[in-house]
Amino acid sequence: MSELIVIKDLHASIQDKEILRGVNLTIRPGEVHAIMGPNGAGKSTLSAVLTGNPLYTVTQGEVWLKGKNLLEMTPEQRAREGVFLSFQYPVEIPGVSMVNFMRTAVNEKRKYEGKEPLSATEFLRLMREKKKMLEMADKLNNRSVNEGFSGGEKKKNEIFQMAMLEPCLSILDETDSGLDIDALRIVADGVNKLKTKDNASIVITHYQRLLDYIVPDFVHVLANGRIVKTGGKELALELEEKGYAEFE
Amino acid sequence: MLSLNKGEHKELVYINEPNLDLSISQAEDSVLRIVVIDYPHSTPSRHVLDSRHTIEIHHAGTNCQTEIYALAYVSNKDCVHTCTRVKHDIGGGTSKQIIKFVLDDQAQGSFQGELKILPDAQKVSAFQTNRNLLLSQQATMRTQPQLEIYADDVKASHGATTGQLDESALFYMQQRGIDPATGRKMLINAFMQDIIDQISDETLREQVRQQLE
Repeated sequence: MSELIVIKDLHASIQDKEILRGVNLTIRPGEVHAIMGPNGAGKSTLSAVLTGNPLYTVTQGEVWLKGKNLLEMTPEQRAREGVFLSFQYPVEIPGVSMVNFMRTAVNEKRKYEGKEPLSATEFLRLMREKKKMLEMADKLNNRSVNEGFSGGEKKKNEIFQMAMLEPCLSILDETDSGLDIDALRIVADGVNKLKTKDNASIVITHYQRLLDYIVPDFVHVLANGRIVKTGGKELALELEEKGYAEFE
Repeated sequence: MLSLNKGEHKELVYINEPNLDLSISQAEDSVLRIVVIDYPHSTPSRHVLDSRHTIEIHHAGTNCQTEIYALAYVSNKDCVHTCTRVKHDIGGGTSKQIIKFVLDDQAQGSFQGELKILPDAQKVSAFQTNRNLLLSQQATMRTQPQLEIYADDVKASHGATTGQLDESALFYMQQRGIDPATGRKMLINAFMQDIIDQISDETLREQVRQQLE
């Protein structure tokens, strides 16, 4: 298949304030795209719009995921179609255990794909396998979703959920923010292990640091709601050196 | 008027019992746990439910323990009012109250929590919390904690919160493929869980859990 996602002239606003002003981006399976840019450029808005966050309104443009009109889908349909967002600020859900949460999510996706739900045993086995692959401790099962997790644990938990749901398009929104170097390495290793020739990632980051570990095929600069420059991984190094001044 | 003898342990569980009127006096070292759960089912023929619970506890001896857990999941135009009056006459006792309401449609809930610690009741710990979840714009909740503390060496706390379902949690769940109706149910169940868990009879506990879900 040639294109996984095609974003055409995407405009979006929040409370009548236009943030995205014509984003164009095409991603093919197997590719890693980094989106960098100054604060307030619209990086997180892009991830919010692609996942259907109700706080944002798309005012113009199109998004096609595997030939389907993404913007017509509910947020949960987009997720079941394989769009995954690793949240910049993962939400705490007191009283809902990780097992219950993940099992519901995995089985909703299976139902959507016309598959039988996993039994409790099969599900726990899958959870163990994924944790082992990501070298994560097996302790969060009975804890409430993200409740009381440290910053690093929350981000690792996002990657764990990504492993469980096997998305075709992962969006990592500032996954490196607030991580120390060890946590960063674990998270990046996880992302690299989950990479296949059929899936793709969008890595949103302010800093070049993460891209030492997750090597992008393309680097885009998002400024004032548009992609103003695209290059290879060397562009990230250049940005690190020169900053974003020329784009502001 | 019920009374607990010295050292007696008792658990009282009331499920969907309208208009409770309890008055209990505890002798020293007695342990009391009360669980009150209401989830009235609507039928077209039924009149609007208006249930008023009054729970009065009186610590007449030292080192009494009391726990009150109440949950009401109310919808339509039904009303549940819960009033607790806990009176510590003598020192060394503990009381703990967790009162929760989930209100949908045009339901009304109210909680009045009177807590009195008399001058001789030193070294008392008294804890009261009221948490309410409003599922509709038309639902109303009134809460009125009333603490009267006359002893100086006590630990007492109270708190009341009323809120709605966490929209950011719902979106997070949707982003993982969970539809909003299922997500909402999961959040409501999570809110009610700690009260249901207080029923020690496993069969009854699971029955209540299933009916509430």
